[in-house]
Amino acid sequence: MNQRKGFVFTIVATILGFMLAIQFQTIKEPEIQETRDTWEIRGELLNELQTQSKLVKEIRALEESIADYKTDMTSSKEQVLKETLEDLKQEAGLTAVKGPGVVLIIKPVPEAIVLGEEVNNISPELLKRLINELNMYDAEHISVNGQRVINTTVIRDINGQTKIDGYPLTDYPIEIKVIAEDSVKLSDRLKVSESIEEFFIDNLEVNISNQPSEVTIPAYKESITIRHMEPALESEKGGNT
Amino acid sequence: MWLPIFGLLIGVLLGLLTDLKIPVEYSNYLSIAVLAALDTLFGGIRAHLQNLYDERVFVSGFFFNIILAASLAFLGVHLGVDLYLAAIFAFGVRLFQNIAVIRRILLSRQPKNVKKPEKS
Repeated sequence: MNQRKGFVFTIVATILGFMLAIQFQTIKEPEIQETRDTWEIRGELLNELQTQSKLVKEIRALEESIADYKTDMTSSKEQVLKETLEDLKQEAGLTAVKGPGVVLIIKPVPEAIVLGEEVNNISPELLKRLINELNMYDAEHISVNGQRVINTTVIRDINGQTKIDGYPLTDYPIEIKVIAEDSVKLSDRLKVSESIEEFFIDNLEVNISNQPSEVTIPAYKESITIRHMEPALESEKGGNT
Repeated sequence: MWLPIFGLLIGVLLGLLTDLKIPVEYSNYLSIAVLAALDTLFGGIRAHLQNLYDERVFVSGFFFNIILAASLAFLGVHLGVDLYLAAIFAFGVRLFQNIAVIRRILLSRQPKNVKKPEKS
C-alpha cells in the first residue's frame, strides 16, 4: 500500500515537474537587448520589405503556373478524347492487332482429291458458323485470308462464289487467324467443336495450329458505312421517345 | 520518500529536453494548472502525515483541480472578469495552510532536545 502511495506521488510529481518546465520555457523571454539605433532598424525594415515584395512576386508566379496547369487540364480532355477514339477504332477493327492467337487452315481433304471428288467452294453458312463459334469461344479479332472480320462483315454467295466483304474465297488453303485472350483454351475448344466436323462433309479439313503463337491481324481496309444510325440530339437526352 | 522528488526531477528534465512550448496566450492556464497541482501535492503530503490519505481523493483532486482552475480561467477570459484570480487566491491560501500544517507536523516529530518554538 505504501509503495503504491509513493508511486502515485511520483507520478503526480512528474506531471507537476513537466508542467513547471514547460511553463518556465514558455515564460522565458529572449534575453537580447535592443541595441540598434533608428537607422539600423530602418535598414532592416527596408530589407524585410524587399523580402516581402520578392515573396509577393513568387506568389504571383506560382499562381500563374497554377492557372497554366488548369488550362492544361482542360486541353488534356482532347488527349482523353483521342485515346477514346483510338480504343474505339481498335474495337471496331480499324487498326491492325497483334497478339497471341491461333491459325486455322482450311484445305481440301487429300483423300477426296485422290478419289477425284469435286471440292466445292467453302459454303458461306459453314464459314459463318465457324466464325460464330469462334466468337462464342471468346475470340477478340478474326481475319479470313487477310480480311478483317468486323461487325458489319458480310459472308455470302455471289454468283456461286463465296465472298467475304466482296473478296472471293475460291482458292485453298483458306487461312483464318484468331486472337483471343486465352488462345490455348480457344484452340482446345476448337479441336472438339462440331463445326470442324461439319467441314469434313464438304470434303474440307481444318488444321488448327498446335502452338498458340503471335498473330498479326490486319486492319479493316474499307471505310465503314453506317446507314441506319444517327447521332442523338442534345435535346433528346436519354429518352426512348 | 525520495521517489517523488526523483519523479519531479525527471518531469522537469523531460519538459526541458523536449523543448516544448505552448502559445503565450495559454501560459495563464498552465500557470494556474501548476498552482493547482502544487496545492494538491502538498495537500496529499499533509494528508499522508496526518494519516488521512485516501488515494482516490488525491488522484481525483489532482486532475479535477487542474481542470477546474483552467476552465475557471477560460470562463474569466470570455466574461472579461479575471476569474483566475479566484483560483489563484483559493489555491494560494490552501497552499500556505497545507505547508504550515506540514511544517508543524514535521517539527513536532523532531526530537525535543530543543525547546519547541512558539506556534505562530
